[in-house]
Amino acid sequence: MTDDAVIEVDEVSKFFGGIVALSEVSCTVGPGITALLGPNGAGKSTLLRIMCGLTPPSRGQVRILGRVPRRDLDVTRLIGLVPQQEALFDPLTALQFVELAGRLQKVDQPRPAAEAALHLVELDPGDGRPVRTYSKGMRQRVKVAQALVHSPQVVMLDEPLEGLDPRQRLRMIALFRRLADEGRTVLVSSHVLDEVEKLGSRVLVIAEGRLAATGDFHQIRELMDDRPHRLRLGADKPRALAAGLLDAAAVVGAWVQGPETVIVDTVDVAAFRHAVAGVARQRDVRLHEVVALDDDLDSVFRYLVGRR
Amino acid sequence: MSDIYRLILRTQLNRGRAAALLAIAAVGMLLAFAVRVTVSASDRPEAAYSLVDGFGLGLLVPTTALVFASTALGDPAEDRTLVYLWLRPIPRWQITVASLAASLSIAVPFAIVPTVIMALLADGGIDLVGASLGAAAAASLAYCSIFLGFGLVVRRALVWGLTYLLIWEGFVARSGTTATRLSVLGYARTLFADLAGQAPPTLASSTSVAIAAPFVIGAAAIALTTWLLCRIDVA
Repeated sequence: MTDDAVIEVDEVSKFFGGIVALSEVSCTVGPGITALLGPNGAGKSTLLRIMCGLTPPSRGQVRILGRVPRRDLDVTRLIGLVPQQEALFDPLTALQFVELAGRLQKVDQPRPAAEAALHLVELDPGDGRPVRTYSKGMRQRVKVAQALVHSPQVVMLDEPLEGLDPRQRLRMIALFRRLADEGRTVLVSSHVLDEVEKLGSRVLVIAEGRLAATGDFHQIRELMDDRPHRLRLGADKPRALAAGLLDAAAVVGAWVQGPETVIVDTVDVAAFRHAVAGVARQRDVRLHEVVALDDDLDSVFRYLVGRR
Repeated sequence: MSDIYRLILRTQLNRGRAAALLAIAAVGMLLAFAVRVTVSASDRPEAAYSLVDGFGLGLLVPTTALVFASTALGDPAEDRTLVYLWLRPIPRWQITVASLAASLSIAVPFAIVPTVIMALLADGGIDLVGASLGAAAAASLAYCSIFLGFGLVVRRALVWGLTYLLIWEGFVARSGTTATRLSVLGYARTLFADLAGQAPPTLASSTSVAIAAPFVIGAAAIALTTWLLCRIDVA
């Protein structure tokens, strides 16, 4: 455990019947923003739910400031959770919903606290419409407001930027940064790399229920960029192109696949892109297509899991 | 606790549910009125007793309890809004008791009052009116307590609950002493008969047991629901 760890996850596994949702995950999270990055179904929401105490781990233990959230009711005062699901108490207005959260959290003055929380997310506390009439983005902001109404020390947000327009995304990210600057622990889950990049945070990469990598965003980005990349090249003389690329050491592997296709593996995409045009010219090859085959996040995550 | 009570009351009671149950209550009242105008004065107490016993206690009270109590915690669990109650520093028993209180508050106008009005409309006499009130209230308490936890753990609780009411309460529980003693309706009917000064139904338990049973069932069901709430996987 590091000295400033607020959340400690120790060898946590979670099984749903025969399905392993999380496998021996250990990590610590301290004050500031930490992003939980991973593809859909990787286990991010399950980990967040375990951290909040909403579901018990099958094995291992989670502690928040040294206390077990599943057992200790008072830990809920420390936590503000933005769950992934859209559902709210539909007949209530945004102010009623957030004020209710404040009352249940035993906030001294729930009405002013609710109004302040709604202002934080740029919603009008005077809006008399029930939340069932709200757009997805507005509902998302109501969820954030109810999580902040009691000024929790730990804020956990499950895909909080989903449904927000670009301007709102930027404002929400600025809000998360402000919370982090105040010394709070902000844990944001996302499956979108660009979002995590904008958070500029420490990153926990989770894939296939395992912790695949940890570090700051730049370390993770480098790790992702340094992996072997697979590309498909379309050319009129695929054999000549493959031989030329291998001779030039621009690729670590090349396979001719069909009359006009070469598949290549490279560890340096930039150098490859620089070399490929020259090789094609030199060998009198007409190159008409270069397509990255594994640039999606899932394959990045698979790579990170595989290298552990 | 009052915040959760008000919330559950507000989210439980929607137009569809209210309309369906008021329709059942209206049918009961129409039948009661029919008893009043078609049955002779000497036979009316007996006919009124049978109507309240069969329609009020046998159908209206358990159905109302099922519809509202099973959804009090069942709806939030299913639509995943339970997290907004669960992740708060509130003892779980308070969530259970507030939900039960909300369900009982709805049972009063939708089941208990209509049952009493049925007794009045059918001209069953003052004893029958009092008996209807007592038995409907006791049965509502027991049924609401049971269906509260039932809705929390059983998906499509309405369907399974109706199946339970039809098969167990309506059929099996009338077939043997042990089954009757495991039936809310058995105790409610015993209490109703005793308060109305009628002969106890066959296979009935003693009056003191019939009075105590709804409270014992209620307390046990509250404890079980609270235990379930503490251990539930909140989505």
